[in-house]
Amino acid sequence: MSSSLLRRALALLLLWWMLSEGLPESAGLGAVAVAAALAASHYLLPPGSRTLRLGPCIRFLLYFVANSVRGGLQVAGLALRGPAALRPAMLEVELTLPEGPPALLLVNALGLMPGTLSVRLQGRRLRLHSLDARQPIERDIRALEARIGPIFGGAP
Amino acid sequence: MIEAMSGALLCAGAFFYFAGTLGLLRFPDIYSRLHALAKADNLGLGFILAGLALQADSLAVALKLLVIWPLSLAASAGVSYAIARRADRLGIAPWQKEAR
Amino acid sequence: MTGLEFPLALFLLANLVPALHVALRRPGRADPMLVALLFGSTGVGILVLLAHGGGGPALIDVALVLALLAAISGLAFARRAWHSPEDSHD
Repeated sequence: MSSSLLRRALALLLLWWMLSEGLPESAGLGAVAVAAALAASHYLLPPGSRTLRLGPCIRFLLYFVANSVRGGLQVAGLALRGPAALRPAMLEVELTLPEGPPALLLVNALGLMPGTLSVRLQGRRLRLHSLDARQPIERDIRALEARIGPIFGGAP
Repeated sequence: MIEAMSGALLCAGAFFYFAGTLGLLRFPDIYSRLHALAKADNLGLGFILAGLALQADSLAVALKLLVIWPLSLAASAGVSYAIARRADRLGIAPWQKEAR
Repeated sequence: MTGLEFPLALFLLANLVPALHVALRRPGRADPMLVALLFGSTGVGILVLLAHGGGGPALIDVALVLALLAAISGLAFARRAWHSPEDSHD
C-alpha cells in the first residue's frame, strides 16, 4: 500500500470513528465502509504525483470559514433590505491558478464567498455572478487564489 | 455559561436560516436566489451545529456534529455552481438594476 | 439542553411554509428545485435540533443522509432534468 493510500485510509477511519460516535459495535460495518470508500477514492482520484500540503490546507480552511461567515452576513443583510440593495452583474475574470483541481476548488469555493457565484469556467476564463458589483470582487478572487495555489504546491 | 453561549449560537443560526428563506423569496432571479440559499443557510447550519456541539456529551458526538458542516458546505457549493452553470447555458439572463 | 431546541426547530419548520407557497406559484422548474434545496438545508438544521432536544442521536444520522440526498438531487437536476430556459421563471 502506498503512503498516499495509507493516509487516505487513516482519514477515512477517523471519519468513521466520528460518524459512529466511537461505538465499538459498529467496527465491522466500519471496516466495510472504509474499504469501499478507499476503493472509490482510488478509482475517482488516483493517487498521483500531487500531494496536498497540510499547512496551506489549514490556512485555506480558516480563510474559507471566515469568509463564508462574511458572505452569509452580507447576503443576510441584502435579504433584509430587499432587492433594491442589489447591484448584480456578470463578470469575467482570468484565473492565474493552473487548470484542473486548483481551479475547480476555487470555482466551487467562490459560491460561499461574499457576493460571488461561479457560473462557467472555460480554460482559465471564469464567468461569475456578483450580487454587488461595487465590491472589490477581483481583489477577493486574487486573495483566494493566493491561498489555493500553495495547497497544490504552487507559488504562494 | 455554556448554556447561554449555546443558546445564543442556536438563535443566531435560526436567524440566518430565516434570512436565507427571505432572500429566496425576495431576490429577483435564480442567480441571486442561489447566493441567498447557499450562503445564508450554510451559516445558519454552522451556528446551530456549533451551538449543539458545545453541549455534546462526548468528543465523538461533538466532532460528528462539526463534521456535518464541511460536508454540507461542500455539497451546497457544488450544487449552486452546477445550477448556476446550467442556468447560464440555458441562456437565462441575470436580473439588472435598470432595464437595459 | 437549553429548552430552545424545540421552539427553534418549529421556527425553522415555519420558515419553509411561505417558501413552499411562493415557489409553487412561480412558473418554471428552477424555483421548486431551489425550495427542495432549502428543504434539505433547513431539514438538516431541524433534525440536529430535534436530536438534541430529545429525539435521540439517530436523528443526526438522518440529518447526514438528508444533506447528502439534497446535494445529489440538486446535481442530478442541474445535469439531467433541467433542459429548457422556458422551464425557468421570467
